[in-house]
Amino acid sequence: MTPDGGIRAQGVRRSFGPVHAVADVDLVAAPGRVTALIGPNGSGKTTLLLMLAGLLTPDAGTISIAGADPVTQNYAARSRTGWMPDVFGTWDSLTAREVLTTVAAAYRIDAATGRARAGELLELVHLSEFADQPAHVLSRGQKQRLGLARALVHDPDVLLLDEPASGLDPRSRVDLRVLMRRLAAEGKTVLVSSHVLTELDEMADDAVFISRGRTVATQSVADGDRPREWRLTALDAEALTAWLDENGPAYRRESDSPAVLVELTGDAAAAALLRSAVEAGIDVSSLAPAGGVLEQAYLALEEERR
Amino acid sequence: MSAEVEVVEQAPAPVPGTRGTWSLSWHGLRTVTVLELRQRVRSTRWKTALIVWFLVVGLITMLTTGAFAIISGDGGTDETFGGMVYSIVVGFVLFLGLLVAPTLSSGAINGDRNAGTLATLQVTLLTPAEIVLGKLAAAWIAALAFLVASIPFLVWALVGGGVSWLALLTTVLMLALVLGVVCAIGLGFSAVVSKTSGSAVLTYLTVGGITAVLPILFGLLVPATTTTESVRVWAVEAGYTWEETTAPECEWQTQETQVWHSEHTWWLLAPNPFVVVADAQPLGDPETLGEDENMLAVLQYGVRYARTGDSGPQDWCTGVYMGEGPQPESPVEPVQVTDQLVWPWGLGFDLLLGAAGVIVAVNRLRVPTARLAQGTRVA
Repeated sequence: MTPDGGIRAQGVRRSFGPVHAVADVDLVAAPGRVTALIGPNGSGKTTLLLMLAGLLTPDAGTISIAGADPVTQNYAARSRTGWMPDVFGTWDSLTAREVLTTVAAAYRIDAATGRARAGELLELVHLSEFADQPAHVLSRGQKQRLGLARALVHDPDVLLLDEPASGLDPRSRVDLRVLMRRLAAEGKTVLVSSHVLTELDEMADDAVFISRGRTVATQSVADGDRPREWRLTALDAEALTAWLDENGPAYRRESDSPAVLVELTGDAAAAALLRSAVEAGIDVSSLAPAGGVLEQAYLALEEERR
Repeated sequence: MSAEVEVVEQAPAPVPGTRGTWSLSWHGLRTVTVLELRQRVRSTRWKTALIVWFLVVGLITMLTTGAFAIISGDGGTDETFGGMVYSIVVGFVLFLGLLVAPTLSSGAINGDRNAGTLATLQVTLLTPAEIVLGKLAAAWIAALAFLVASIPFLVWALVGGGVSWLALLTTVLMLALVLGVVCAIGLGFSAVVSKTSGSAVLTYLTVGGITAVLPILFGLLVPATTTTESVRVWAVEAGYTWEETTAPECEWQTQETQVWHSEHTWWLLAPNPFVVVADAQPLGDPETLGEDENMLAVLQYGVRYARTGDSGPQDWCTGVYMGEGPQPESPVEPVQVTDQLVWPWGLGFDLLLGAAGVIVAVNRLRVPTARLAQGTRVA
């Protein structure tokens, strides 16, 4: 990894009076990858993103955005960062197109290029038909998409997206996912905070978990070596549990369902289990990962905290 | 990792020249001003306000003209009505302007902050100075629209005679500057206070301070600036009895009397917007003051008189004798008010206040911000 690219934050801290919103966060997001920022409500995600976006000064720690320090080289950092806030207002009386051309002008893009860029982005987020409608007639999800387009106007190297999926319909969520992957493939650094973990599973390469303002874990989503739970269902639940008691790995019953949960490491282990169960004459009807990788990791962390 | 290779291959984006907090560009300024004006123009409230303004100022002009016609009798006189109508319309426009201007700017920053649109601008390559001055320009242009809507009535008064075109020019210029200052003060408060109502109140208090509180202070300081001195007076001869049928002889005497040194405190009047506007017009002839009934000219004469202050020997003799017979010549020159200007001091002070507002606002919009005001949210 080059020292220049992506986002690096080390020992970042920020408090508001007695509240330690961000107590100690280490974070690395590499170019060409989508990094998920995961944490419960009030864990300091938004404050962290504000610092990364160059709006807030950290009390301590160092940040580097595409090689620029947002504290000392704020202007350079801003020029390479696209930020989409969690709650944002739009200039309600402006049309969607005007919002984007205004932002383009604010990024010192000349008018003709700005207009072309606005058209392109409206197409990208499927708002072309609302291009000349005032922003206040847009629905929440449409505004969210406009906000995403706004963050992309100046073709930033680093994207900071705070809850981009909230309020989006399923179709838009899929579009968002595809777009994230495409931007990452173009070599951009994408940092996404979200609660919708199953979605991040398919979108993110890496995940950073923060809780109470601290980085509690960092992991790669594609990491296959970690044990995770699989859900196993058979036509005859009694036979299944009897077989598992004798031969299989440790399992636990899922409440209110005939399925059992087994912890397996890697897909090969799952295939092996399935084969031996079938060979033993168990009528297995399904075997699938229970929940996403991130969801499981998240819940495991929650567990530890209790 | 493949990502590594990609990054190395990717040409580094050209880093634009760094621009500091106070960097200004025409392009950035225009972007913010256009954005602000677009939003204003599209709100119907604003159009309504402008129409109401036009009607109210028109009504006042009409009523004043009508009243003057009635007062001056049958209406067929050659007397000029311009002076009075002009001064009333100008005074009224300024008064309304001082009421409207704070509303145009005192929500410009905290309003955006509450709506979540301020940070959207801050993360772009606009500098804080561009954001603040762009917003100021937009508020000022809106205020000037009100001024422009009143110009027809000022010209109408001018046609009535008694006021010079030059006076119209200085008046409009001063009105414009004063409104700009009020906008700048409002902008400063809107950057400091989180609630728009709070910044509006503070702006009104500041405007009220320079308009009313300072002149009141000037009045309250009269006892403190009045001293008992020996003054040369041209007085009625000693031993003159008032039963005589001839005019008294006048003679020089030295008497202990109270002298008001308003030349020490005149500057308290200077920042008052009405004084600034009145004093900037060419100084009229004191002889015609009473005839024109131009209250702006009277106000100007008043502040110049205050600035002149103690003018040496006093005439206590001329004109005291009501009987018949020739009046003696007075050796005491009538008081000549100073031709030293009052308005540059007042306007200078007001401009400093406005500049302070701008500086405070720019400093508050610096990113990254180290501290947040109580109850504010950056986003």
